[in-house]
This record gives sequence, structure tokens and C-alpha cells, in this order.
Amino acid sequence: MTTSPVLEELRARARDSQSEVHELGTWADVARFALELAGSEDVAVTPTLAAARPELATALGERMRQPDPEAPFASIADAAVGIAEGMLAVAESGSVLLAHDELADRAVSMLSRIGVQVVPRDRIVASLDDAAVWLDANEGAASLVSLVTGPSRTADIERSLTIGVQGPSDLHLVILG
Amino acid sequence: MSVPKPFAERYESALENEALSESLLAFQRSWRDTRDAQIVDLEGIAGMKADALRDGLAAMKDSVIADLPAMVTQFRTAAEAAGAIVFEAATAEEANEYIAQLCRDQGTTTVVKGKSMVTEELFLNEHLEAAGIKAIETDLGEWLLQLDDDRPSHVVMPAIHRRRQEVARILERELGVPFDDDDIPAMVRSARTALREHFLAAGVGITGANALVAKTGSTLLVTNEGNGEFSASAPPVHVVVAGIEKIVPTFGDAMKQVRLLARSATAQPITTYTSFFTGPAPSHEMHIVLVDNGRRAMAGEEWSSAALRCIKCGACANVCPAYQVVGGHAFGHVYTGPIGLVNTAFHHGIKAAAGPQSLCLSCGACETVCPVDIPLPEQILQVRRRTAEEVGLPRSRRLGMRAYTSRRLFGLGTRLAAIAALPFRRGRFTRAPFSGRFTSWRTPPAIPLRPARSRAALRAESGAVAPTEASGRHVTLFMQCVSDRLAPEVVLATADLLRAAGCEVDVPNDQHCCGLPAIDSGDDANARRMARQTLETLEGTDDIVTPAPSCAIAMLNDYERLFEDEPVWQERARQLAGRVFDLTGYLAGPARLPDGTLARGDTRPVAIDHFCQGANTIGREDALDSLVRGLTGANVVQLEEADVCCGFGGSTSIAAPGLSAGVLDRKLDRVAASGGRVLLTDNPGCLLHLRGGADAARLDVEVLHVAEYLAARLPDRE
Repeated sequence: MTTSPVLEELRARARDSQSEVHELGTWADVARFALELAGSEDVAVTPTLAAARPELATALGERMRQPDPEAPFASIADAAVGIAEGMLAVAESGSVLLAHDELADRAVSMLSRIGVQVVPRDRIVASLDDAAVWLDANEGAASLVSLVTGPSRTADIERSLTIGVQGPSDLHLVILG
Repeated sequence: MSVPKPFAERYESALENEALSESLLAFQRSWRDTRDAQIVDLEGIAGMKADALRDGLAAMKDSVIADLPAMVTQFRTAAEAAGAIVFEAATAEEANEYIAQLCRDQGTTTVVKGKSMVTEELFLNEHLEAAGIKAIETDLGEWLLQLDDDRPSHVVMPAIHRRRQEVARILERELGVPFDDDDIPAMVRSARTALREHFLAAGVGITGANALVAKTGSTLLVTNEGNGEFSASAPPVHVVVAGIEKIVPTFGDAMKQVRLLARSATAQPITTYTSFFTGPAPSHEMHIVLVDNGRRAMAGEEWSSAALRCIKCGACANVCPAYQVVGGHAFGHVYTGPIGLVNTAFHHGIKAAAGPQSLCLSCGACETVCPVDIPLPEQILQVRRRTAEEVGLPRSRRLGMRAYTSRRLFGLGTRLAAIAALPFRRGRFTRAPFSGRFTSWRTPPAIPLRPARSRAALRAESGAVAPTEASGRHVTLFMQCVSDRLAPEVVLATADLLRAAGCEVDVPNDQHCCGLPAIDSGDDANARRMARQTLETLEGTDDIVTPAPSCAIAMLNDYERLFEDEPVWQERARQLAGRVFDLTGYLAGPARLPDGTLARGDTRPVAIDHFCQGANTIGREDALDSLVRGLTGANVVQLEEADVCCGFGGSTSIAAPGLSAGVLDRKLDRVAASGGRVLLTDNPGCLLHLRGGADAARLDVEVLHVAEYLAARLPDRE
């Protein structure tokens, strides 16, 4: 069970890395939230999530976009919003742990302009050590496991922090349930 | 991209580039503050002190380095079980050719790359280009440099030496659209669009690895931009290139590294992406190229194996005063900064390491921030010794050092110089009617006709001022060669202070130089000659005190190693080390006079410089401040960056005057801003350097050795 100090730590650390934490009740709420962020555009969903949570797909209806399995990166690049489910949220660093085996899942998480990462409330852990224990128990879990902390960024030009390079320029962390 | 130009060329062009040193100065200052705050934050998170976290990470890396063959096998087995193909490359050629062949097999002529220092080390891009394969860098900084045929100058911030105006012009040339010099976000956005087609077209994606997890065969990659993950995912073949020293046993160990890596590198708590790749994605291939290229040799030598702990954070460069002045193109080879001076010798040969290592000021700052506790100053000295043996010292330096070993020759030389300079002697300085690259930025000191050793005052009887723990002790005063000949007043003041504390002072006449200049040059033969002579001179009294902490540190830290093959001398060195004090340490310790004893005289505000080696290697940052405050009640003002080197660096100020002048500027700016009207130091070399620099810069600051400042307040001196 998650105690609220851990959630507060997660919220503070996520804010430090320029992502925002939201608490929503259901996948339908997530769909509404994503559609609002997308404005008139479509919402991309990782195929694994779309298959696992039909209620999300239903709530998004025709506005849901899926990558083309033949060309996942080219087909989904620059989607307005991309939703992925995280396996853990790590309070210590404000990170979400994404485990993506499929390239199509990676494409949605990596290339959307706005990222929405959803983690069920009972999967918030306190520390990176807890994340390591989880990784050990799951033998690496997937061909790619990323701890994502905030929107993509660079300071390569005169050390000037600039948000949004190859990855999302806005990141929302949704605690579900 | 091209291979590095000859060192002399890189060094001269770096000195001419003022924008470079300005931007690195701003960077170093902001990094220091942010990084320190991040480390404090981490202590709270981890519930452990920073030293314990550092030691834990170092011990974990050491356990791997000690057992490399077994760790490589374990990693290899696990990675293959996960579906990756592992290739062990003994040399750069083997690694490069394997990767080129993969590209040919894939039928691709376009490769995308994440930022990877090991591929820079291998000159992989050049190799691929010769094979007709275009490797496109996708890290923004690396991409910009590649477009301009430039090389990274920092392990973490590759383009830190480039200005935004230059970046705008590079992008205009490449993309054919205008860029506003001040619109950095637009420049960044252009990388997203311009690189997209390459990501999608490439047949192979190459990344480095920050760690390799032996238990599962996973590779860890950290980035902020997301380019590494994209490079690893979009092309059908992912090639990870990594040095074998990157292996860590478990995910838990990888997290230890993650916690310290970004904090030490960019002073972030964690990078945006911390990604573990375990086997290929479905329908893709994953190859892991494990590179030796000198690493097993490095692990095999006792002095160098700790350098393999390096996690390539660049923290050592971020506090290096020499790096700040000349940047990574001069201060380094492919690997830049202090660690580059060490590992270059193994990856690119001793000749490639020879030029840059001459710029090290031996201040020891690098070691204080290293998250894996690499003894960099010691290792750099060892590279110097290798350079002296294998490449040879410059002839002038060799002859100079030989002459210096002789007390008589040195005495004669300074006496002749004193006579020659007599017409130009003005107070504390020699004001020659011409100035050159050694004197324009630092007025040379007056050269007294009579050294301290031949002055009556040195052995005068003067009374104790108050009883101390050292009352009645026999103290041998080691004058230090520079003070004896160029700052005799420092030696006289030291003797007075010791007598004021009740000591019996003895000054053996046959003392000369402790050997530090030779040690610093990597010239062990001459160093031993001088060390033996010093040992013989100083034996037989209770305590040995010197006004030169640099010499005390040489006796404490270097003598034992100098005589590692001569047990009898080594034992004598150990005996000596137990009795040596620098003056500050002695006055703050056994010879501590009661507070307020010297509370009279000069009331000007005092800035106190901290002898960098003292602060960095024996951890006595504040000893001098509290001593001066306590004894005199003086108004001691805050001097920012007091622990940062003044640029003297022993022979560096002669071998590399441009560098030395640049580091001195940084110090004098801080002195001017401090409001101090007196600047105190306790190291005689730094004293003459700072005094000459303050004079040349026309600063209204009197630079004094702490001995002079304190002795002037003794009752009989008033």
C-alpha cells in the first residue's frame, strides 16, 4: 500500500524534473484527460496497453491511433499525445518505469509530443533500489526498460536548458485509482 | 570528424580563445554549486554520507576490475541467453572492422549513433567513412560538432566550447534556412526534424553503454534527449559498443552508479532516460561489442587499475582550473580533463598523453569530486614519470633539473642573478625595462644578494611569548629553497614565530631542495637525489617545520613511494614523515599560542588563500583562517574559491605561462572582489606568484606569507 508521503515525494521530484503528477480514478478518466490535451488531434496508445485495457480504447473511440506494425516509428512520429502504462513510479527520482518489448510501444512513448504515463496507485515505490529489486525479480522484464524522468531535454547549446528534443516536450504522470 | 591535431597547436589555439575560458568559468562555477547541492540532497535520499556512497561505488567497480575475465564471461553468457550477439574486440581495429562488416551485411550505408565516448576512442566514424558508411551523430552537441568537422571537448557536454552564434551559422549552412542567434529552442527543434529521416533510414543504430549488467546481460544507457533510445530502436540492428570495465554485477549495482552519475555529470538528480536493453526487440538484432583496447593492461597494473572505475561523468574536468582556461581540446586527447591524462596513455599511447599532462597544476581538485575516488593526482604523476622515461623530458628541463639538484650551483646561480638584477630592483620586485611572456602578467620578485641562510637574524636569540605545547622542543627549520633565496623574510619570520612559541630552532646549513620540482616533472632520479640529501640533513631533531606546505606534502606523500625499491631509505622516509609539519599545521597544533596573543598592528581586511594541495590532499581548508582569526582577531573577509589553485603549480608556471596566467586571473578577480587589502597564503611559491600577479594587475592588495603577517605582530617586532 502506498502511503501519502511517498506520493508527495513523487509529486515533488516529478515537478523538479518538469513533469506533472495527476490523480485520476479510471481509464475512462485517462481517456478524457488525454483527449483534452490533444485538442482536435488524435491520441496514440501503445498497442500493449490498448489490448490490456479495452476500457481505455472504448473511451477514446475513433480518436485512438495505433502505430502501423510494419513501420511503427514512421507511422506514429509526432502524435499529439501518447499514452503508455508504467510498471512502477519511483518516488526518489520522480520517474516512471516503462517496460516495452514491442517496437510499436517504444514508438508511442518515445516520439509523441506530449507523453501521458499511467501508473496504478499500488505500484508507486520509494526508491531506485526498489526498482532494482523489481528488475531483478523480472529478469530485466523486457527488451527495453526505461526509467523516464521528465520531458526530453538538452543543454548542449551554451548550457541553456531546452525542453523537448527527440522525445516528448510535455510529460504527465497519472496515478490511477 | 578528424583526429586530434598536434598538442602544441591545440594548446596555442585554446589560449587565444577567450570566449572558451569565459564560458568554462561560468560553467565550472554554476556546476560546483548545483552539484554540491545535489550531493547533499542525495545524502538525504540514501541516508548515507557522500563519502560512503562514493566508497561503495568504488568498491563495487573494484570487485569487477579484479575479476574481469570471469565478469566478461558472465555478462557474455547472460547477454547471449537474452538473444544478443557478443563480440570481444581486443583492439580498436577489431571493433571497427566488426561493425563495418555488420553494416555491409545489412546492406546499409547510413548509421545513426547515440553519444558514445568509446566510439570516439576507437575513431569508429572515420573507419566507417573509409568503408563508405556515413555515421550520423544524433546527440545534439555531437551532431553540431560533426557538421562542423569538430571534436568533443568534454566527455558529457561535447560542444561546451561552441557559442550559439556559431551553432546558428552551422545550422544555416546545413539546413539552408536562417536562424536567430538568440533562439536556441529553434535550433534544438531543428535537430528533431533534421535527424528524423536519418533515424528512419538507418540500417544500423550504434550506442554506447553506461553500464553492463552481468547477471542479466543488460546494457544501461542514459540520455537526456532520447536520441540514444531512438537510435537503439528504430534501425533493425542495434550495436552496443562498450569498454569491458563497464560491467557491474547486478541491477542494484547499476542503480548505485545511476545515483551518482548524473549528479556528478550534469548536476541533475537523474537523466531523463535511464534505459536498460536486455536482448533485441522482436524481429531486430542486437550486437554487443566489448572493447579492450588497453583496458586489460590498465587493470593489470597496480597504479592504474583504479582509473577503470571511471563512469565518464566529467566531474574531474568540471573542477580543474587548467581545464577551465584551455578546455578539453588542449587538456586531453580524445578523453578530456584529468581522467583523460591517465587513460589516454593506455588507449592512445604515452605520446598522445605527453603534451596535455604537462598542463596539470597538481592541485588535487579532481580527486575531491570523483564519484569513484580515483587517485587522479597520483596517477597523473605516474603518467609523467612514464613520459619522462619513454618520451624524455625537454632538454632545457632536464638540464635545469640537474643543475637544481646542486645546492652550490643553485646558490651561485641565484647570486649571479641577484647581481645582474640589482639595477632593476624596486622594493620587493625586479622591474626590468622590458617584459615578455614570463613577466608581463607577473612581476618577478627582487632577488636578494644574501639568502636567509646567511643572515644573522635567522639564528638570533629571541624570547618565547607564551608557553605552548612545543615549548622546549628542538625544531629543525626546513627553509625551502625558494624562500631561502627569493623570500628570506619568510624564513626569518618563521624562525621568530617558532621561538615565540618556545621552540629551540636549528637551521642546518647544508639543506637545499626537497625534490618536489623533480617529483612534479616525473624525474624520479633527480627527485631521489634531492630527497636523500634532505633526509640526511633533517635527521636527529624532535620536529621539522617548514614554511612551505608543498614541501611538507612531498615529504609526507611522495618520499615513501620514491624509495619503494630501497627499503633502508624508505624507512628513513617514514621516520621523517612522522616528524614533519608545515608552519600552519605546527602553529595551529603543538605551537599554538593563546588566542589574542598577536592582536595588534595592521588592521586592514585580510583575505586568505587556501593552498590548494593542502585543502585537496590533506583536507585542511580552514586551518589557516582559524589560526589567523584566533591569534590576531583580524577582520578576515570571505574569499570565494579560496581552495581553487592560484596557477603557480610549481614548474607549470614556467612550462606553460599562458595557462598559469589564466588561472591566476581567476584568483585575482576573486581577491579583488573580496575587499581584502592583505592577501595571505602559506605557500612560498604561491606567495611570489600571487604577489607578482597582483602587482602586474595593479591590485591594491599586499600579498604576504602568513609567517610574515604574524611575525610582524610579535611584541619585539612592533
